[in-house]
Amino acid sequence: MAGVVSVDGLRKRYRSRDPWAVDGVTFALEPGQAFGLLGPNGAGKSTVVKIIAGLLRPDEGKVELFGSDPGNPASRKDLGFAPEDPDFPKFLRAAEVLDYFASLLGLDEQERKRRIPETLEFAGLDKERRQVRQFSKGMKQRLGIAQAILGRPKLLILDEPTADLDPLGRRDVRALIDQLKDSGVAVLLNSHLLSEVELVCDTVAIMAKGRVLKEGTMAEVVPQGKNLEDVFVELVEANAPPRDQLPSFITEGNKS
Amino acid sequence: MNGALAIARYTLVELSRRRILLVFFVIGALGILGLGVGLKILYSVVSTSQGGFGPSNVDPAAFNHFIELAFVSYIFGALGIFGLLIAYGIGMTAIYHDLDSGAAVSIFSKPVSRVAFTSGKIAAALAALLVIMGVLAVEARLVMFLFGGGLENALTGAVLAVIGNTMVVMLLVLALSTWMNNIVAAIAAFIYYNVITGVISFVHNLTDSGVIGSGVVKTIFNILYWLVPHQLVSSATGDLVRAQVAIQGERGTTAIAGVPPASTTGDVVWWAFVVCVLCGLLYYSVRRREV
Repeated sequence: MAGVVSVDGLRKRYRSRDPWAVDGVTFALEPGQAFGLLGPNGAGKSTVVKIIAGLLRPDEGKVELFGSDPGNPASRKDLGFAPEDPDFPKFLRAAEVLDYFASLLGLDEQERKRRIPETLEFAGLDKERRQVRQFSKGMKQRLGIAQAILGRPKLLILDEPTADLDPLGRRDVRALIDQLKDSGVAVLLNSHLLSEVELVCDTVAIMAKGRVLKEGTMAEVVPQGKNLEDVFVELVEANAPPRDQLPSFITEGNKS
Repeated sequence: MNGALAIARYTLVELSRRRILLVFFVIGALGILGLGVGLKILYSVVSTSQGGFGPSNVDPAAFNHFIELAFVSYIFGALGIFGLLIAYGIGMTAIYHDLDSGAAVSIFSKPVSRVAFTSGKIAAALAALLVIMGVLAVEARLVMFLFGGGLENALTGAVLAVIGNTMVVMLLVLALSTWMNNIVAAIAAFIYYNVITGVISFVHNLTDSGVIGSGVVKTIFNILYWLVPHQLVSSATGDLVRAQVAIQGERGTTAIAGVPPASTTGDVVWWAFVVCVLCGLLYYSVRRREV
């Protein structure tokens, strides 16, 4: 079976005078694989997933989504993407947002009637009648995940999916990822919650300053006796200037 | 195609829930009704009171017709203003809010092309503009029956010209708002369409009518005139002046000379070309946009 995602020598910067946001990233994703993309803020993780989702154009390198250019709408048919800080047309209600996106996915009316109530129930939004503009961040995040799974994707990209969720919501997302993996869906997970990544991902890549510092299976990246957080902190600190000084007005407070 | 329809459908749902458009529509509808009824009451009061038409002994039928002309003149002005407000309201929000809020990230990650997105947005914006202006025009036409009717064709022509002009403004604001903040886009569109284009058209008219005789100025403004949108003008103004002349007799004949001519076929073709260019510009802006 063909690969789901193939990223080769990817480079991207937002303006010509800016440093590379993504600099020579290469990895591949196979069906049923859960891949964790980790890194500190500004590492370039979201840029990578946005390029895979066809939202940004790469400057150099090659990206293939199901064997095609992600800019081609047909290649995104089997993609589910839950963006970081998701938002939606703000005067629509949750059910309308899902109906809108189901139409964009080409689902017929019968399928929409079947999937939308179940998806809303999964997201805990089945009783919600308010418009999106009145939603909390957590509710928007739930709706973001709901719209991402609506098309029964073969690749699910989750960009910080649990950042605004309560512990129950996080548990549901973990269960969702496990279930999808078992059914052959590839999952690309961007997250700062390393314990969560450790629980669900088979493979990880740790990024900083647009580059991949380390990549491999969880066993290859995390040696015996250590956890993912130790490895992450060591790698990132080795590639960043030290930040051990607290602001002077904090330390001064101890003297008085 | 399905993608464009879904985008058009839900953009219309969104537009129908925007309070600002509802407020413009309600003010416009109440204004037209109030104007018509107010003028009719004025006519009734004047015609029933003793010596109501004054020492000049104005013919009541002529006064009734004069009131109708006044009503229609005000209506043309009101439709133009509300048409522009609604065009700005739709143009500033239909695409910009999706881009600004981040909704475009979820939309563009679906298997929908930028052509379908642009087509759906244009279709929804035009449908909303046509429905709102259509309802206001129908209301105006119904209110005109209070005065016995007779100038309905002038109203239809004026409404078509207003819709044509507001379409250009709306498409311009839509295209600009994919590049920049929507308020800046509205200001830029206003400066371009109402100020720069207005000045160029005015000077061009002066050179055309021979008021400005300089060959260089004439050549420059002839070129500039065909680089900017031409505001469509219906024959309504002329119809109104001719109706006034009919009331006033020989005294009003000189007024006809100052009436701006109605748009020619060439102007309408140029308008259609400008609309196509703006649709193309909008598509290009949406296609280039990274979210």
